[in-house]
Amino acid sequence: MKMKRILCVLLSAMMLLCMFTACGDTATDDTSNSNSDSESNSDSETATLVDSADIEACEIVFWHAMSNAQEAALTAITDEFNATNEWGITVTLVNQGAYNDLSTKLTASAASDTLPDLSQAYNNWVTSYIDKIIPLDDFVERDYDEMDYEDILQSYRDENSEFGFISGMPFNKSTYLYFYNKTLFDQLGLSAPETWDDLINIGKTFQEELGMVSLGYDDLAGLIEATLLQNGAEYISEDGAEFDTEEGLEAITYLMDLYNNGYARLVGEDLYFSGPLGNCLIGAYVGSSTGVSYITMNEGYELGVSTLPGNVTNAANTAGTNVMMFTTDANKQAAAWEYLKYLTNTENTVYWAMETGYMPIRTSGFESEEYQAYMETSEAAQACYAQQEAYFASSNFDGSYDVRNDIGTKFEELVLSGADGQTAYDELIALVNGILQ
Amino acid sequence: MKDYSSPVYTVRRKLRPFKGFLYLLPSIIILCVFTIYPLIKTFMMSFMEDYNLVNGTYTAINLENYKELFSDATFLAALKNTGIYVIFVVPISVVLSLIIAVFINDVVRGKAIFQTLYFLPYVTSVIAIGLVWRWMFNSNYGLINSILNLFGIESIEWLNLPKYAMPALIIFSVWKSLAFNILIFLSGLQTIPQDIYRAARVDSTPKMRVFFKLTVPQMRPIIVYAFMMGFISAFKVYNEVYSLFGGTRAGPANSAITVVYYIYSKFYNSYRYGIAAAAAVVLFVIIFVFTMIERYVTRDRDKVKSK
Amino acid sequence: MTMTKATKKTHSQHIKMKPSAIVTKVVEYAVLILGAVFTLLPFLYMILSSLKTYQELNAIPPVFFPSIPQWSNYVEAWNSAPFARYLLNTIIVAVCTTIGVLITSTLSAFAFSRLNFPGKNLVFSIFMATLMIPGEMLVITNYQTVSNLGWIDSYASMIVPYISSVFYIYLLSQFFEQVPNELYLAAKVDKCSDFKFMTKIMVPMNKSCLASIAILNFISSWNAFLWPLLVTNDPNMRVLSIGLVRFQTESGADYQLTMAASCMLVMPVVILFLVLRKYVLEGVAFSGVKG
Repeated sequence: MKMKRILCVLLSAMMLLCMFTACGDTATDDTSNSNSDSESNSDSETATLVDSADIEACEIVFWHAMSNAQEAALTAITDEFNATNEWGITVTLVNQGAYNDLSTKLTASAASDTLPDLSQAYNNWVTSYIDKIIPLDDFVERDYDEMDYEDILQSYRDENSEFGFISGMPFNKSTYLYFYNKTLFDQLGLSAPETWDDLINIGKTFQEELGMVSLGYDDLAGLIEATLLQNGAEYISEDGAEFDTEEGLEAITYLMDLYNNGYARLVGEDLYFSGPLGNCLIGAYVGSSTGVSYITMNEGYELGVSTLPGNVTNAANTAGTNVMMFTTDANKQAAAWEYLKYLTNTENTVYWAMETGYMPIRTSGFESEEYQAYMETSEAAQACYAQQEAYFASSNFDGSYDVRNDIGTKFEELVLSGADGQTAYDELIALVNGILQ
Repeated sequence: MKDYSSPVYTVRRKLRPFKGFLYLLPSIIILCVFTIYPLIKTFMMSFMEDYNLVNGTYTAINLENYKELFSDATFLAALKNTGIYVIFVVPISVVLSLIIAVFINDVVRGKAIFQTLYFLPYVTSVIAIGLVWRWMFNSNYGLINSILNLFGIESIEWLNLPKYAMPALIIFSVWKSLAFNILIFLSGLQTIPQDIYRAARVDSTPKMRVFFKLTVPQMRPIIVYAFMMGFISAFKVYNEVYSLFGGTRAGPANSAITVVYYIYSKFYNSYRYGIAAAAAVVLFVIIFVFTMIERYVTRDRDKVKSK
Repeated sequence: MTMTKATKKTHSQHIKMKPSAIVTKVVEYAVLILGAVFTLLPFLYMILSSLKTYQELNAIPPVFFPSIPQWSNYVEAWNSAPFARYLLNTIIVAVCTTIGVLITSTLSAFAFSRLNFPGKNLVFSIFMATLMIPGEMLVITNYQTVSNLGWIDSYASMIVPYISSVFYIYLLSQFFEQVPNELYLAAKVDKCSDFKFMTKIMVPMNKSCLASIAILNFISSWNAFLWPLLVTNDPNMRVLSIGLVRFQTESGADYQLTMAASCMLVMPVVILFLVLRKYVLEGVAFSGVKG
C-alpha cells in the first residue's frame, strides 16, 4: 500500500513535469501563428478605401454596453439609420452586458479573431490588440470637411489619436462634476466653490456649524490626476512620475490637508457618495455627470451641480467610451464608417446627450438651439458645458492601468494612516516610479 | 460452460483492466479539452515575458514573471490573506455545518422547513447578499454592531478600516459556504444505518457521545470531502471578496485582496497575462501540495482504522 | 417511548434522561432558529427590496419594509428583456447540463470507487488537479476553443463544457465507497455485470446524493453569467442571468429592478429544490448490510 502511495505522488509530480516540457514544444507554434495573423491584418489595413458611392448592402454588428434609457436612445438612432440609409446597410446592436463584460468579451474575441465590426471601447481596454483596430485616418481625411472633423471637441480628438492613428470616434462622453446639497449650502450662506480656497472654506464652515464632512471623491485616482493638473503640475508619463515638482508637492499637500482636517472623507462602506449626499450625510461630492439621475435628495433638500473648482488652472476629468472599428472587409469598413459619421453628427449627438445625460461630442452640438434649450432645464448640462475648455483624458501606455489601480489604493492607505503632505508625496512618487521604471 | 480458449474471450480478458477508462471516457474528453488544455496553456504563459494573449507574442522565455510576482508586495499580501482565509473559513464552516446538519436531521418537527431555510442562501441573488451583508456590517446601524453593543462591546468599523476587512470577509464567507456543506452533510447522514442509532438510543448514550462515536466516523468520507473541496475552493476565493466589498476593490485600501482577486485584476484589468498565469501556477502548486498532504493524512488514518 | 418491553434498568434510565433530552431539543431548536434568521434575512431582503422604490432602497439608515409595495417593478423588469425566450433557453441549458453531469459523475465515480485499472490513482490526481486552477484563467482559452468549433450562439457551447464536474465526481465516489463491498462481490457471484450493478444497485442506493448534485448543479447552471454571455451574441440564444445586468450602468444601478428580476429568476429554482428536497432526506435501504 505504502509503495503505491509513493508511486502516486511521484506520478503526480511527473505530470507536473510533463506540463513544463509541453510548454517548450508548443511555444514556437504560437509565435509563428501570431506572425501570420499580424501579416494578414496589415494587408487589410493597406487596402484602398471603398468609395462611398460603391458601398454594397451589408450587415454591421455593433457591440455595446448601454442599458435602459441609453440603450433605447442608441436603438432609436440606429433604427433611423437602418431605415433611411441609401446603401441598404443594416446595423445590428448587440448588448454585451456591463463595461467589464464587454471588455472581457472583446479580449476573448480578439484572441480568436471574432471581433465585431464595431464596438464601444475604452482606450485602455485595447492596448493588447491595437493592431486589430482599423485606423480611421484615411476616412477622416477623405471626409474631413463634409463631416467637419474639427467640430469634435479637441480633447476627444486627442484621446482618439493617442496611439498614433485615429482609433475611433468619441461616443458616450461624460465628465466629473461637483454635486452639492444646495439647501444646506444656502442655510450656511455658502455658494458653489470656484477655487481650492472656496473648498477649504466650505470644509471649515460645515465642520464648525454642522460637524459634518463636506466633500467626497468617487474616483481617487482621477482626483489625484485632476488636482495635479489644476495646480499646473504634470501627472505621469512612460518614464515615471512627472509630479516630482514644487507644484506637485503643493497639490498633494493640499489634498492630504482636506482629509486630515476632516473636510473630506473616503467613501468606505457607502461605495458611492450619491447615497450619503441624498441622505444629507455629506455636503458635496465629485463624481460622474451621468450619475445625476441616481442622486435622490431627501424631501425638502435641493441638489446643486457645479463645475470642478480649480487653482492655478482648471482641469476636469472626462470618461466614456469611443466606438472602434475592427472589420477587415473593405466594404464593411466603408459601411461602418457611414454609420459612425451618422452616429456622431450634430443632430444625433444632441439627441443622444439629451436622452441620456451624456454630453454632445461636438461644439456645434453644445451650441445648437435644441441643446441650449435643454441646458436651461439641466444644471448638470450647464456645468458640463461651462468646463469644456478644461477637459482632459488620462493617457494610456504600458503600466498606466497598474498606476491607476494602485495609486488609488495607496492614497486610501495614506488617508487612513493620516499621513502628511510630504510623506504622501514621497510615497506616491515611489509607487509610480516602481511600476513604470 | 464458457469456452475460455476462444479469441473473443481472450481479447475481452485482456481489455478488462481498461474497462475503467471506458467509464471515465466522457469525463476525460471534456476535462482534457476544457480544463487540462487551458491549464497547460497557463503553465506555458507563466514563463513568457510580456506575453500578449491576443497575438500570442512574447519577448523571451524565462522566470521574469515569477521574479516580478514575488517582488510585488500586493501579491505577497494576497498570499498572506488567502492563507488566513483558508485556515479560518474551512474548519469553522465544516464544523458548523456538520452540527447544523445533525441538528436538522435530529429534530422531529420542522425538518423540512429548516432544510429549506438553510438552503436559501444558495439561491439568493449575489447582489442581494452583498447588499444585506454590507448593511449588517455597517458601522452605524448594522445588525452585527447592535449585537456587539448588547454585550457592551463598542461598534466596529468593519468595512471602513483595513484591519477589520479580513475578519468581516471570514464571517461572511463562513455564512456563505454553509448552505452547500449542510446539503451534502444531510445527504451523507441518510446513508448511516438507523439501527446503529437505535442501539444507542436503547443504551441512552449521551448525544455528544453518539455524535463523536457514531456520526463522525460514519460520515468520515463526506467530512473528508467537505474539507478537501472546502480548502480547494477557499484557496480560489474571489466571489466572496467581490460581493462583500461591492466589486469596486478588495476592501479598504485593498486590505482583503486574495490571490485570485489579484489574478483577475492582472488578467482582465491590466492585461498582464504572464503575471496572472504565474500567480495561477503558484496557487496551483500550493493547492496541489496542500491536497497531497491532506490526502496522505486522511488516508493513513483509514489504514490504521481498518486494521 | 414505545419500549414497554425494555428491561427495568434501561427503562428507569430512559425516564431519568428525559429532562436532559428536553434540554438537548431546546438547544437544537434554539440554534437552528437563530441560524435560520441569518439565512432567511438576505432572502427576505431580496423580496422586500424588489417591492421598494429607488429612494427607499437607497435610504440611510435603511428601511426594511416598503411603505407601498411597488409591484410595477416586476412589470418593468419583465418588459426590459425578452425574458420568456431567456427562460426557455435557461431551462434547456440547465436541464441538459444537469443530466449530463449526473451521467458522467455516476460513470466516473463508479470507475474510481469500484473498478480497478492501471493508473487509477494518477488519473484521479489529474482529475483533482483540474480543480486547482482558478476558472478565471480558463475562460479566454475556452472561448477560443468553442469559437474554433463553430459553437458560438449554440446550446452546445453552454452545455458541453459543463457536463463533467470533478466536484461531483469526487462527492459521488465518496458516497459509492460507503456502499459495502459485500454487495458488489455478491453481485459478481450472481454474474451481474458492472454496468447493471451500477444502474440497479449503486444509483438507487445513492439517490440522496444524486438529488443533492442535481440541485447544486442545476442552480450553478441557472445562475451562470459570464460564460453564457461570452458565447452568445444572438438575443434568441441568451439566458436569464444576462437580463439581470441590464439595470446596472457605470454611474449607478436600479437595484429594485435587479431584485425584482432576481426574485423571478430564483422562483423556478426554489420550486425545483422543494420537489427534490425530500430525496435528499430519504434514507437508503442497505442499513442492515452496512459495516
